[in-house]
Amino acid sequence: MSTWIRVARYQLTGRATYAGLWVGPALIFLLNLALAVTGVGARQGAGSFLIIISFNSLVTGALSITRQLPFALALGVSRRSFYAGTALLAGAIAAVYGLGVTVLELIERATGGWGLNLHYFRVPHLLAGPWFLSWLTSFAGLALLLAWGMWFGIIYRRWNLRGLLAFIAAQALALLAVVVIIRWVHGWHGAGHFFTTLTTGGLIGLLAALAVAMLAGGYATIRRVTV
Amino acid sequence: MTPAISVAGVTRRYRGQLALDQVTLDLEPGSITGLLGRNGAGKTTFLRIVAGHEFASAGTVAVLGASPAGNQAVLRRMIFIREGQAYPDFRVRQVVRAASWFYPNWSHELAGALLDEFGLPLDRKVGNLSRGMRSAVGIVIGLAARAEVTLFDEPYAGLDAVSRQLFYDRLLADYAGHPRTVLLSTHLIDEAAGLFERVVVLHRGRVVLNTAADDLRGAATSVSGPAIAVAEFTAGRPVWDSRRIASQESAVVAAALDETDRARAAALHLHLEPLTLQQLVVRAAGTAAASPPEQTTAQRTSA
Amino acid sequence: MAGLDEGAPLFVQIAGRLADEIADGGLAEGGQVPSTNELAAYYRINPATAAKGIAMLADDGLVEKRRGIGMFVAAGARARLLAERRKRFAERYVEPLVAEASRLGIGADELVALIREGSAGL
Repeated sequence: MSTWIRVARYQLTGRATYAGLWVGPALIFLLNLALAVTGVGARQGAGSFLIIISFNSLVTGALSITRQLPFALALGVSRRSFYAGTALLAGAIAAVYGLGVTVLELIERATGGWGLNLHYFRVPHLLAGPWFLSWLTSFAGLALLLAWGMWFGIIYRRWNLRGLLAFIAAQALALLAVVVIIRWVHGWHGAGHFFTTLTTGGLIGLLAALAVAMLAGGYATIRRVTV
Repeated sequence: MTPAISVAGVTRRYRGQLALDQVTLDLEPGSITGLLGRNGAGKTTFLRIVAGHEFASAGTVAVLGASPAGNQAVLRRMIFIREGQAYPDFRVRQVVRAASWFYPNWSHELAGALLDEFGLPLDRKVGNLSRGMRSAVGIVIGLAARAEVTLFDEPYAGLDAVSRQLFYDRLLADYAGHPRTVLLSTHLIDEAAGLFERVVVLHRGRVVLNTAADDLRGAATSVSGPAIAVAEFTAGRPVWDSRRIASQESAVVAAALDETDRARAAALHLHLEPLTLQQLVVRAAGTAAASPPEQTTAQRTSA
Repeated sequence: MAGLDEGAPLFVQIAGRLADEIADGGLAEGGQVPSTNELAAYYRINPATAAKGIAMLADDGLVEKRRGIGMFVAAGARARLLAERRKRFAERYVEPLVAEASRLGIGADELVALIREGSAGL
């Protein structure tokens, strides 16, 4: 147990990896702010924030593995402990970060878009509603992205670039298979219905389940990774 | 006493090649053992398997009585320093500090002294250091950790002779004060010869020699001088090699020579030169290469 | 390894060096023998090897352990070592001398004269 905490400390020493989570979005936000102030035009919608944060989370998750694993193993940390410690840290960061985003979104709403009608942090349907659910949604979403990124990192460490490409291809194929199956059973209507009636609670559950799936996949892959 | 490292029948197959072939050996706790052999002999593979970094295809491995693979309780008592270690994007200071968290026996004092002696810049990123300095970082960590089982895999890449001697000296000094089990793989055998209590020689994945270092010393001597005198001196003794030029001959006698022999050699105007550990090891590996493994007479296992 | 070679087990050489020191009087009887760690550091060898060398001298009764303090040269060690060397003197020095002399055609009388000359300065 204490090894997990040491691993988390070890991971945090590499501040740059986790800084990427907020530096990018912060810069884009400031850019948007500048654009709004200069009157170029208020920006609605959440496109840029969501995209940036998703991408950064994947990268952060991957980097937390690829850069840190070899030395950790040299220091007598088992693969399991390394993974547990890193995942725990990722969870904590997702929780804290999610809280931060929720708070910013609340402020944004309260100030009417920072007084400039700039809605950067608002994500319709996803981040609307009571702050508590908003927080859990971002928590689960970030956890999912970080775990997914970690899995990418492990795949790369174990099977290199080829493995990584194969992994991406496999996921694309899986998605394709799902689409084909839905089409086959004429389930578009049902699928669409599912998503439109998805409550926030349901969404959180879905994201959390996917995050667990990603964590399980990463764990299975890291068991036999060599550096 | 439970061996510090105990492997039995360890085999590692990789892409159709046998990196390790039925390796069996025990290392007693509290000793420094040299793991010797040519490049590609399997030294690195062996160390990686002991450290739990790689998995054997067959056989059993036990470190401090238990299998190291995925076993955090055993792994935390072990450290593995290798050449070309990949470090995170940290500064020297951060790498050393992080390492200190994982080893209960860590000595900050020793780490500080070593960082000083190797002249390592604390605030530079490890990735920006020269190869030699990066090796020095590994050595600092490997020694300061005072791990019960300390594995070094040719840790001196890029280090000059002075720094290498510093490594040997500091290893011996700290080992004297804080005994541990050290397994050092090297191909610079003569430099490190004084360190080893035991030597294990690998060749093509097999153990061809596993003996006390002192049992090897004096095992063979080269005798040179007038051919007639050499012939007289070596009569009745096993001779490994012999070279001639004009009336001079140089032969390697595979026998321990005592005072009487030495006196006799002097009387015959013969020059005696004991084979160094490196030469003996080279020969052991060479003999293994020449004859099929089942018939290798150089394979000796001393209890 | 300061002055040690590959010709014989290191611990034997260590014991030999210490014995030489005792025989030459450099290490007085009752004097303390360097510790295992000191020897290891000086010769740049493994402390276990140094310990083995000292153990060898202890087995021969040339040094003895004083609990809690260290190893000390035993009484009579020097005398014993010198006696041993006397016994081997003929083997180590006289035989080669005679052999070489014979090779050079130096007869026994001439040899004795040379020895007398040589010892005149002692």
